Amino acid sequence: MFYIHTSSCISAQKAFIDPTETTLTESVDNKLYALDIHYDMIPPNVLRRLGKAVKMGIATGIQVVSNKPVDGIVIGTANGGLEDCIKFLNQIIEFEEGRLTPTNFVQSTTNAIAGQISIMTANKGYNITHVHRELAFENALIDVEMLLQENPANNYLVGGVDEISEYNHTINTLAGYYKQEAISNKEVLESASQGSIAGEGAAMFVVNNTKEHAKAVVQAIKTIHSTDIHTIKKIAKDFLKEHLPAAESIDLVLLGQNGDSRLNSYYESFFNTLPANTHIGYYKHLTGEFSTATAIALWLATNLFSSNRLNELMKISTSHTPTNILLYNTSKGNQHSLILISKV
Amino acid sequence: MSRIVVTGIGIISAIGDSTEKNRNALKNSFCGISSIDLFETKYAKLLPFGEIKIDNNTFRQLLNISSAGVTRTSMLAQHAFEQAIQDSNLTKEELATEDTALINGNTVGGMCLTDELYNDANKHSTDSPYVTSYDLGSVTIYLQELYNIQGVCNTINTACSSSANAIMYGARLLKQGKAKRAVVGGVDSLAKFTINGFNALHILSSQPCQPFDQNRTGLNLGEAAAFLVLEREEDCIDKKKYAVLSGYSNANDAFHASSLSDTGEGPYNAMKEALKIAHLNPSDISFINTHGTGTENNDLVEGTAMKRIFDQVPPFASSKSNTGHTLGAAGAIEAVYSILSIHHQELYPSLHFEHEIEDLKLRPLQAYIQCPVQHVMSNSFGFAGNCSSLIFSAL
Repeated sequence: MFYIHTSSCISAQKAFIDPTETTLTESVDNKLYALDIHYDMIPPNVLRRLGKAVKMGIATGIQVVSNKPVDGIVIGTANGGLEDCIKFLNQIIEFEEGRLTPTNFVQSTTNAIAGQISIMTANKGYNITHVHRELAFENALIDVEMLLQENPANNYLVGGVDEISEYNHTINTLAGYYKQEAISNKEVLESASQGSIAGEGAAMFVVNNTKEHAKAVVQAIKTIHSTDIHTIKKIAKDFLKEHLPAAESIDLVLLGQNGDSRLNSYYESFFNTLPANTHIGYYKHLTGEFSTATAIALWLATNLFSSNRLNELMKISTSHTPTNILLYNTSKGNQHSLILISKV
Repeated sequence: MSRIVVTGIGIISAIGDSTEKNRNALKNSFCGISSIDLFETKYAKLLPFGEIKIDNNTFRQLLNISSAGVTRTSMLAQHAFEQAIQDSNLTKEELATEDTALINGNTVGGMCLTDELYNDANKHSTDSPYVTSYDLGSVTIYLQELYNIQGVCNTINTACSSSANAIMYGARLLKQGKAKRAVVGGVDSLAKFTINGFNALHILSSQPCQPFDQNRTGLNLGEAAAFLVLEREEDCIDKKKYAVLSGYSNANDAFHASSLSDTGEGPYNAMKEALKIAHLNPSDISFINTHGTGTENNDLVEGTAMKRIFDQVPPFASSKSNTGHTLGAAGAIEAVYSILSIHHQELYPSLHFEHEIEDLKLRPLQAYIQCPVQHVMSNSFGFAGNCSSLIFSAL
């Protein structure tokens, strides 16, 4: 259990950060690119050389640590700066292993984001990058949960970030994770075909053990490795029994449903384990699918405790402020996660 | 607080495909650095590497792999993982529970298939078995699915300190009761991608590397995998135990994306914090398995930081002179070597050393010796300033 104090987010939706904006940004060519904003804190000569994941990570990270120095930096990213990776890879093949510049290589390592934040904020503390595909951000959360047990007075930056690159878009299309047909994000959740649409973004949080002035409390995190619906349902039930305060219930569940018809049975059976009056919210039609999209889901959940202005965009059919929100996500059916977050 | 003990080890590197072969090679100053024989790269015969001389087809037979899409990185990992779980007598039933964690450090993933990746990523292919095997998580997920591991599974990339952090993460899970046993380690295979990356940085030596030598000219890349089985001492009273994982740390140098600060803030803080966690004084350390890559920057900075910590620097060596720098696997294979030093009460020498670095005046151990070995420190420092130290102690 730990508390969220400040948070930041870069996504495709202007409405997430601009209270005057109420419309949904539509996908283009089945992709939801994150808005290219908020890079003011990065010196222009540095910015020019950075890939999008590194830019988004630095911008969201520095935004939350600038007023509150932290004792460590814990990042989840499945792929980091993949666009730089493919640029370097293409150079290797096209120049037949000739004279190459190392910039793309150095930027392409997944730990470059946490490293850059540490350099720019002169942070010499704990620094780590979790890269375990769809559970990269969840492992970052488990890590800070342990860090705050070990060092109860500390503050940590924890976040998730991933980018759309030509590389992962092509590879994931070959693997069947993106839809073949053109579709708008407005309709993607109702789609009956396989695959989803691509997305990217970043969300960062400063967390500690202090309840006072906290925005939300992360009660527990659980990762599941299974394709068996019954196993997942059993683990989910045990999880809630253990971590949901007695006499309380989940009043909102945020589902990571992404329009891939193969995953519907997971989400439906999972939802059926919850009481019938549980409300549902969605976010992947706003963010697109990417490995650390649960970071944005956690950012949204944190904000839902104080405002209901995103309810309509998230298809939440109540204006009631929730007390306990459960996040359930699976992107490919073999890695699943549960995050329980409550109002303070 | 419970002590975290090592109950199983498994390793494969350029100096051997088993723990015993690695130990014998270290005792006999065997150098596994050679030209590349098993895949094509322009640098195969131009630069030396720590290549494991077992080809992928042989691995597939040895490991009984029938499915397509299993990369060399996954195969090296499986080889070391299976040795470790057998050594610790873990049953398939024990592995397939929520009590078992699997934490893997990795920087290359399936990118050892640089050409296949190029074709797949640039739409030159339509039917590739590897599309879900390129990312870093793929190796861990392969092992997790193979043994149906149900506890916390994680992949960590902190560059060359990845598997030191994997070991640390596993130990912390055990201490906090989030797992009952943790299989922890790391892997990387040689790849055109990393060869060209390190070559572009001008830090690959054309000779077998000379850690801590005044005339050192860079590192040799290698490939390897190693896993340890970690358990809480009270959970494995009747089991064979090699050593205690008594200290660990993670600190950032916060200086530069691909080189260390002159004063070695990251290395200094990593070593100091590991000593603190282990409740040890610097003078308690019997031996240091250094990061010792053989680059101009690393060896000078690491030596400087060692001199800041230790009034009298204990015996030290770099096994990268035997194996090459195995990146994501380095922390794990060097953990195995540190454990072997404690288990057999012996120290393994550094190779190819001739002249002290003038500013350091430090000489690595140059001959195999048997002596009391109580506490061994193992250093791993990576790009992006990621510095970690582990300390293993006699039981």
